[in-house]
Amino acid sequence: MSARAEPHRVPVELLDDPTSLIYGIGNSGRQDDGLGWAFIDRLEQIRPLPRAHLRRTYQLSLEDADLISRYTRVLFVDATKDPAVESFTVSRPEPKLDFSFTSHAISVPSILATTQQCFEHVPDAYLLAIRGYEWELQEGLTSPAQHNLSHSLEFLLTPR
Amino acid sequence: MAKTLVIDPVTRIEGHGRVVIELDDDRNVTDAKLHVVEFRGYEKFIQGHPYWEAPVLMQRICGICFVSHHLGGAKALDDMIGVGPASGTCLTPTAVKMRRLGHYAQMLQSHVTSYFYLVVPEMLFGIDAAPEQRNFIGLIEANPGLVKRVVRLRKWGQEVIEAVFGRRMHGVSSVPGGVNKSLTAADVDRFLHGEDGLSSIDEVIDDAQLGLQMFYDFHEEHRGQVDGFANVSALNMCLVDEDGNVDYYDGRLRVVDEDKKLVREFDYRDYLDHFSEGVEKWTYMKFPFLTDLGRDAGSVRVGPLARLNVTRALSTPIAAEALERFHAYTGGRANNMTLHTNWARTIEIIHAAEVVKDLLNDPDLQKDDLVVSPGADAWIGEGVGVVEAPRGTLLHHYRADREGNVTFANLIVATTQNNQVLNRTVRSVAEDYLGGQAEVTEGMMNAIEVGIRAYDPCLSCATHALGQMPLTVTVVDAQGRVVDERAR
Repeated sequence: MSARAEPHRVPVELLDDPTSLIYGIGNSGRQDDGLGWAFIDRLEQIRPLPRAHLRRTYQLSLEDADLISRYTRVLFVDATKDPAVESFTVSRPEPKLDFSFTSHAISVPSILATTQQCFEHVPDAYLLAIRGYEWELQEGLTSPAQHNLSHSLEFLLTPR
Repeated sequence: MAKTLVIDPVTRIEGHGRVVIELDDDRNVTDAKLHVVEFRGYEKFIQGHPYWEAPVLMQRICGICFVSHHLGGAKALDDMIGVGPASGTCLTPTAVKMRRLGHYAQMLQSHVTSYFYLVVPEMLFGIDAAPEQRNFIGLIEANPGLVKRVVRLRKWGQEVIEAVFGRRMHGVSSVPGGVNKSLTAADVDRFLHGEDGLSSIDEVIDDAQLGLQMFYDFHEEHRGQVDGFANVSALNMCLVDEDGNVDYYDGRLRVVDEDKKLVREFDYRDYLDHFSEGVEKWTYMKFPFLTDLGRDAGSVRVGPLARLNVTRALSTPIAAEALERFHAYTGGRANNMTLHTNWARTIEIIHAAEVVKDLLNDPDLQKDDLVVSPGADAWIGEGVGVVEAPRGTLLHHYRADREGNVTFANLIVATTQNNQVLNRTVRSVAEDYLGGQAEVTEGMMNAIEVGIRAYDPCLSCATHALGQMPLTVTVVDAQGRVVDERAR
């Protein structure tokens, strides 16, 4: 959990819906960069949200503006290197075009802004950032990253 | 005071590098170089791995042209197991056509990325526009309707790539001797006719022509700037078919000179008989050249401009018509105008879309004869694969021991082939835009980057870096002191 603030609550009951997308971002070939995909793997195994759409991507690209414009709500799940994040954090990203933009990867706020400008619809968006530690060309999460993954899943799926 | 100008990083290219420009006391350019300062790792990293892992692992060099690396590696593996000209065994038609389908879909998707994301903002807002505006975000704000069409075009290419290679990125479908899947009838139907959120192939071909029309319009208004920008000479090289026309997946390597006269045509497997590589202590990127001609005369240009200089025809109607106009513009001589690379790229976007349509209508794509397995006694243990990647000629060469573990790997990527001509371009732009000027402006610095971006260079690929590297422009005086440096 973030050292700075209590994470936003994600409305799990609303996520379990065909108009919801849970989008794991990362690269399972680079250790803890695979946290976003591992989160989707767990959801596929335990199926707590059987009606939500689950997808994986290596990084966000402009086509994702088209993709997310088709959903009512989207939970992005990604790894973070931010040392201020002890385990995970949940935020509510707002549409904002920024200069992280390259042909390789786009930020969540930029994708939301592109969706708003080009597709005239912005989903209700949440960003779950899970702390990772190692990023080498190797498969498998580190032990502390696995712990953070479990912690974030427990938080997400616990009714409040 | 003499100066050296450094551009670091060069923005909106894949990977990063550094440009250093040296000025004398009269502010004339005395030297200009593109430096690549990243360790090359993949050729060593792959050694010891089973040979069949090579196409899967080597494509991780890049998140953009991974299909080309996957196919170049797969073709090398075909050779290694004894499938190819040496043995007289061929891949099945379905395998070849599946690979071609994925390859042309990537050509479409990659060129759309390069052209619309990285080049068009400069065309719309101008080289001198504020950096905050001359980028794709500026384009989104200025013309969201255009961006929507571009997004759908790219998405379509991405969907075909996923259907062919089994993944959105870093596919797994090409295996030694063929492919592990064909295309389903449902996939063929949705790509041909579209579905909710996915264009039909005819809509794709319509949208694919947007870029060419934008280039024509821009060229009409800025002919002097476009034609006069970095007009640099080089030999031109690409894969060609039996008629000497470009083939993006297979064929022989053909080199032509500025009069389009044949300099060389050879089996790419013999590349070591023709090419040498120069090295410089200031860059990790090598300088390939035709050995007998020497580094200066024997360096080649590869990529869209080179391919359209080499080929006499394109096999699809809309692209063929556009090619005629392209060829007529230089009256039969090779086109050396760097910014015409973008013109060539737009023609290739159309050609790729048209070829994909032809392939989707080919029933071989849905057949199940996918792999040829020549048997252990056919094992050769060495192979070379070449494809025309979006940025140009890409070569993979592997050797493996009797246990099948890789003992040697050599990659020559398009950006490396273009290294000499890239440096000539940087020098030309530096002389034209910075030479003799009292002050170095943002627009001048960006002109250098425009020259580099025309090649859409992938420096991560060129150095086979594990991960991305950052690019910096620096001005140094005659005494070697840095007097101006910009990093954006």
